[in-house]
Amino acid sequence: MLPSTIEDYLEAVLEITENGRQSVMPQEIAAALQVPDAAADAVIASLIEEGYLERLTGDAVRLTEKGHSVASQVARKHRVLQCFLTEMLGVDAEAASKEACTLEHGISDETIDRLSSYMGDAQSPPGRRCRGEEACTLLDCKEGDTVRVAMMRGPRRHRRLLDLGIFPGEVVQIRRKLPNQSVVVRVKGCDIAISPEIAASILVESCPS
Amino acid sequence: MRFALIGNPSVGKSLIFNQLTGLGVEVSNYPGTTIELQRGNTCFKREIVELVDLPGIYSLDGNSEEETLVRGFLEEGDVDAVIVVTNVTRLERNLYLLLQVAEYGLPMVVVLNMIDEATEQGLEIDPGPIHDLLGVEVILTAASQGKNIDQIIPASLAALSPAKVEIPYDHHVEAAIRSLGKMFEADRTESLRALLGFGDNPELLEAARTIADEIESRHRMTAAQIIAANRHNFAHQIADLTLKEEVVLPRSDLDRILTRAFPGLPILLGILVGMLLVVFIVGSFLEELIVNFFDVFALQPFIALGLPQLVETLGTSVLIALQAGLGIAFPYILLFFIIISILEDSGYMTRAAFLADNAMHRVGMHGGAVIPFTLAFGCNVPAIMSIRLLHSRRERIIASFLVTMVPCSARTVIIAGIVASFVGIAAAFSVYGIVFLLILVTGLVLSRVTPGERFGMIMEMVPLRQPDPKLVVKKAWTRLSEFLFIAMPLLLVGSVVLGLLDFFGIMAIFEEAVEPITMALLGLPGYAATALIFGILRKEMAFETLAILAGTADLGTVLSSLQLYIFAVVTVLFVPCLATITVLLREVGSRITLAITLYTVALGLVVGALLFRLLS
Repeated sequence: MLPSTIEDYLEAVLEITENGRQSVMPQEIAAALQVPDAAADAVIASLIEEGYLERLTGDAVRLTEKGHSVASQVARKHRVLQCFLTEMLGVDAEAASKEACTLEHGISDETIDRLSSYMGDAQSPPGRRCRGEEACTLLDCKEGDTVRVAMMRGPRRHRRLLDLGIFPGEVVQIRRKLPNQSVVVRVKGCDIAISPEIAASILVESCPS
Repeated sequence: MRFALIGNPSVGKSLIFNQLTGLGVEVSNYPGTTIELQRGNTCFKREIVELVDLPGIYSLDGNSEEETLVRGFLEEGDVDAVIVVTNVTRLERNLYLLLQVAEYGLPMVVVLNMIDEATEQGLEIDPGPIHDLLGVEVILTAASQGKNIDQIIPASLAALSPAKVEIPYDHHVEAAIRSLGKMFEADRTESLRALLGFGDNPELLEAARTIADEIESRHRMTAAQIIAANRHNFAHQIADLTLKEEVVLPRSDLDRILTRAFPGLPILLGILVGMLLVVFIVGSFLEELIVNFFDVFALQPFIALGLPQLVETLGTSVLIALQAGLGIAFPYILLFFIIISILEDSGYMTRAAFLADNAMHRVGMHGGAVIPFTLAFGCNVPAIMSIRLLHSRRERIIASFLVTMVPCSARTVIIAGIVASFVGIAAAFSVYGIVFLLILVTGLVLSRVTPGERFGMIMEMVPLRQPDPKLVVKKAWTRLSEFLFIAMPLLLVGSVVLGLLDFFGIMAIFEEAVEPITMALLGLPGYAATALIFGILRKEMAFETLAILAGTADLGTVLSSLQLYIFAVVTVLFVPCLATITVLLREVGSRITLAITLYTVALGLVVGALLFRLLS
């Protein structure tokens, strides 16, 4: 079985379960991917065997943890690519989605990260929600993570961050993160305490896994 | 000759200033201690040298009050040399400001301070690169030990030629500087400042803004971000040349425990409660000693003299005022200021601010508000002054309301002297409970209704240090003497006026008039109202006045526990004292001051009346 087939199936399951549903029927997956039910059943069976899916009562299946992580990675690539194609290159939305489906299986994680932060820096047209969705902020990092600042939302609002050495391109280390989301970052050998709402405006380059 | 000290917060500027001038400038280990300009004179070879201690700042391009003040000072150029003080253990960040100052092209001396700490951390410092790059004298100092401080003035006197520096900026910025220079004959610094939006030539600013917008759309970074990044990178290179890490020495990292939710929060609570307990217990013990001493060696001998009635009344009033003043100042206020000074100098306050950030958000402020709040337990006056740490007017308004409600040490005297002594220690803590609850509710309401933008906290966690006992005592002493200067005259005059009013029977008339009201509303006798009014002069006077008017210091014999409790609660909530009102006027304006005053009066009376209804 091709990796792209696995990824397509897992992505489809993720998409169907995204709105809070617990399980998916094989027929729904077949319908979403526009393949015959019998073909879908065969693939689903092998996905269960490989530990990507697990069977619940009846025919219903759901993603295992392993399956979920593969699915969400692919889904993210899909979104980033679709965003890039529509926002930056002006490709028609439906065509972009189709093309993203093909590209998403070949592109590396590194390239997606860079593409995502490249788009994060750009000014997207108002009203579209492409930007930001893919970007991780300081709040998504764990204690001990070392990350590179990609961009700051509202760069004029927090002048002091700039003066303390937190600017796009600078590497910072998360020294402390309280349960209530206040963070301390170390930059240039100094520890800086930052309120959650400000930390949320600092986008970082690669999402820590 | 006039020299100015400039540098990041907590780098030892004020300490150096103190050592050079002998003035008692407050030294604190948290950002924003020096907000006004401190000036002092020193003599060198029979020449008078004026020193100006500028507030600690991180940058010359920000919009905060301190930054604007320093920028204005440098632009005026009314200074013969600037002395840039840096913390050598955080050199890279400190160099960022140093480079900005150097761009002004004033004669300059660089002080690399805290070499003692740097040595402890295994850093080797080479002053050569900074000297060569900027063409200025570089002095290595350890201000806490007074090492090499004596070289600063001679070096400043010798510094005649302006500092030179050319920070390599991004080529778009450089191109912008060149074209602005051609169009408006502006020099490099002026063009650069125009790109950042500073300056007084509207045409230059307009052109600079257009270019800055162009740069921003090309780079996807604002011009300010690019310029800051270039400066930081240059600072990084210089720091690399200057510092060599010999051996990486292991450093104890207390922040491992101090800034975690656990055990950090219990430690924070423990420190606050412990502080109050110490002030309560040790304070009341010391107060008793002082009061008794006065009784036996001053008051009783004076009365034994058998002087004429009027003279005796006046003399007793003065003695009672002295007794009250000293009995409060030394045990409670000095003790409190010593503890606060230790906390400030150790750098713990910034940890407290970080931990409290979320809680402070709930009441409409950010973690920095912990500093005014803690100060307020000592005295509301310095606390109100420190609300300038908060950056928006919205936060300052909320803070000024809440800070005035915090029981200061004078109110602690009332709670300790009246409630703890005559009702019980549990009841005393319940007064705190009531006050904190009201502060919380007020904060929750104010954070909803106060207009204005919310700002979060961006605060440097200053390094933890062992406080120097000498400096701690000196600072506590300075604050205490300020207190004595404001309080003692008021206390003396108030006491004498009170004695005279009593002597001529005017007090009795007033009390008779208000007695029905106070009895009905609060269940308190008329003279308690007089005491409350005198409490406005200074809070602790309410206690003393009550004792004088009741005719005995053993209040338990004349008033019931409930009456004492209600009196204490009302006094604690009722109107900030005169000194607080004065600072409030200066910091937040007359409308807010009036609102705070009315609010606290109403709160005191309503809560007092409620307690009276509920408990009697």
